[in-house]
Amino acid sequence: MSPTAAMLLPMAEDESHFPPDPSLFWQPLVKFGTVDLFGSEMTLAITRPMVILALTVGLLSWWLVATTRKAAIVPSKGQAGTEAVYNFVRNGIARDMIGSRDFLPFVPFLFTMFVLILFNNWMGIIPPVQMPTMGRIGFPIALTLLVYVVYHWIGVKKHGAIGYFKFMLPSGLPGWIKPAILALEMLTFFVTRPLTLALRLFGNMFAGHLLLVVFIIGGWELFLQGGLLSVVSLPAWIMAFAMTVFEALVQFLQAYVFVLLAASYIGGALVDEH
Amino acid sequence: MTGDITLLGYGLAAIGPAIGVGLIFAAYINGVARQPEAQKILQPIAILGFALAEALAIFALVLFFIRL
Amino acid sequence: MQLTASTLTAVPVVTAAGSDDPEATALPILPYLPELIFGLVAFGILYWVVAKYVVPNLEKAYAERTAAIEGGMQQAEKAQEEAEAALREYKAQLAEARDEAARIREEAKEQGASIIAEMREQAQAEANRITESATKQIEAERQQAVVSLRSDVGKLSTDLASKIVGESLEDQTRQSGIVDRFLAELEAGNVRPEVVGSPSDGSAGAEGQGN
Repeated sequence: MSPTAAMLLPMAEDESHFPPDPSLFWQPLVKFGTVDLFGSEMTLAITRPMVILALTVGLLSWWLVATTRKAAIVPSKGQAGTEAVYNFVRNGIARDMIGSRDFLPFVPFLFTMFVLILFNNWMGIIPPVQMPTMGRIGFPIALTLLVYVVYHWIGVKKHGAIGYFKFMLPSGLPGWIKPAILALEMLTFFVTRPLTLALRLFGNMFAGHLLLVVFIIGGWELFLQGGLLSVVSLPAWIMAFAMTVFEALVQFLQAYVFVLLAASYIGGALVDEH
Repeated sequence: MTGDITLLGYGLAAIGPAIGVGLIFAAYINGVARQPEAQKILQPIAILGFALAEALAIFALVLFFIRL
Repeated sequence: MQLTASTLTAVPVVTAAGSDDPEATALPILPYLPELIFGLVAFGILYWVVAKYVVPNLEKAYAERTAAIEGGMQQAEKAQEEAEAALREYKAQLAEARDEAARIREEAKEQGASIIAEMREQAQAEANRITESATKQIEAERQQAVVSLRSDVGKLSTDLASKIVGESLEDQTRQSGIVDRFLAELEAGNVRPEVVGSPSDGSAGAEGQGN
C-alpha cells in the first residue's frame, strides 16, 4: 500500500483529478507517433485494452480448446463447465431466439461473442487488470459491426434485396401510412439497432468503471483529508465493494443482453414473411 | 458552485428509463409469481424490454457527451 | 494519467501523455480506430478457434450423447421385448405342460376307468362263466340224478308193485311205459319226485292226497 500511497499523496493537493474524467480510459502502452487521418491527427499506439483483449482471446482459446479437445460423452470437470456456458448460449439464447430450425450455423458466432464479451467485461473487476475492455467504444462498435453485417446479409439472402425492404413492412397496412412505417422500420433496422447495441455495452462498462473509480478514489481522497473525513472513507470503500459485486452482475447481464439482442436480430431477419 | 448543466439534464433523462425498467421487471416478477413455469418464456422478453428501455438512457448519455 | 494508477492496477503507467495526446481528450463515444480494427481481428481469431475446434467437438459429443441415450433406450426396449417374449414362452410352455398334465391325468383316469370296467367285465364274465358252468354242472348232476332217480324209482315201484301183485311186472311195465307216465304225471302235478324218494318228511300228507 505504501508505494501507492506515495504515488497518491501529491494528488491530495492537486484538485483536478477528482472527479475522474473520461481521459482515464486512454491508456497507451507503446506509442508509435501520430498519423494524419482525414485531416485530424491520430496517435498510433498499442493501448492497454488491446493487450487485455489479446490476453482474453489467448486465454479463452486455450481454455476452450483444452476442455473440448477430448470431448467425451461423460464430460470431465472442465468440459462440463464449458458445456454449461455453451448450453446457455446454444439452447438458452440461440435456439430460443432464432428457432430450432436454423439456429445451428449461428451458434459459433454467438458463443464466441458471448464468451469474449463476458470475459472482457469481467476484466473490469478482476485484479490486477480492472479495466473493462468494452469501456473503449471501438470494441463494442467492432462487435456490433459484425452483428450488423451478419443480420443484414442473411436477411437479404433470404428475402432478396427488394424483398428485404418489403419484409420490414408489416402486412395489412393502409397504403397512405406505408412510407412512414417503412421509414421508421428502416431507421430501426439501420440506425437504432446497431447504435443501441454498441452504446449499451459501451455505456454500461464505461459508467460502471467510472462509478467504481469514483468510490475508490473518493474514499482515498477522503482518507487523505484526515480527521473526521478519513472515517467517512470506510463507507465509501464498502460502497465500492458493493458496487464491484453489482458490476459483476451488470457485466454478465450486458454480455447476455448483447448476445440475446444479436440473436433476436438474426432471428428477426430469418422469420418467414409476415 | 460550478458545474455542467448537461449533467443535470442526463440525470433528468435517466428518470424515464429508470421507471420503465422498474415497470418491466415488476411485470416480470408478477408474471413469474403467478405462473412460475412461464419463467423461461418471460425472461428473454423481460430482458429485451429492459434493453429497449435502457436504450433511452444510453441515448441521453451520448447526448451528454456530444452536448449539442 | 495518475488516475489510472489510483485504480490500483498493476500495469505500469506510461508517462502522463494525456495533455499532448488528442486521443485522451477525444469524445469517449468516438472509436479509436486501431482499437476497432484490433477488436475485429481478435474476434475473428477467437471465432476461428471456436468454429473450427470447439463447437464441432461439442456438437459431436452432443450427438454421441444423444445416440448413446437413444441407443441405451433401444437396448432397454429390446431387452424388455426379449424378456416379455421369454415370459410369453414360459407361460405358453407352462400352459402346455399344464394341459399335458391334465390330458395325462384325464387319460390315466380314462384308462383307469376302462381298466376297471374291463376288469369288472372280465370278472363279470368270469363270474358268469363260473355261474354258468356251475349251473350247467348242477343241471347235469340234476339231470343225472333225475335219470338215476327215475330209474331207481321205476325199479323200486315196479318191485313194489310186483311184490303187491305178486308177479314180475318189470318188463311189462317198462315196456308199457307206465312208470314213465306216472312219473310224468308226478312231475306235471304237485307231487315232487323226491317226495316219493323220501316219504319220511312232512309232505307225506300231500303225497297221500296226490295219491
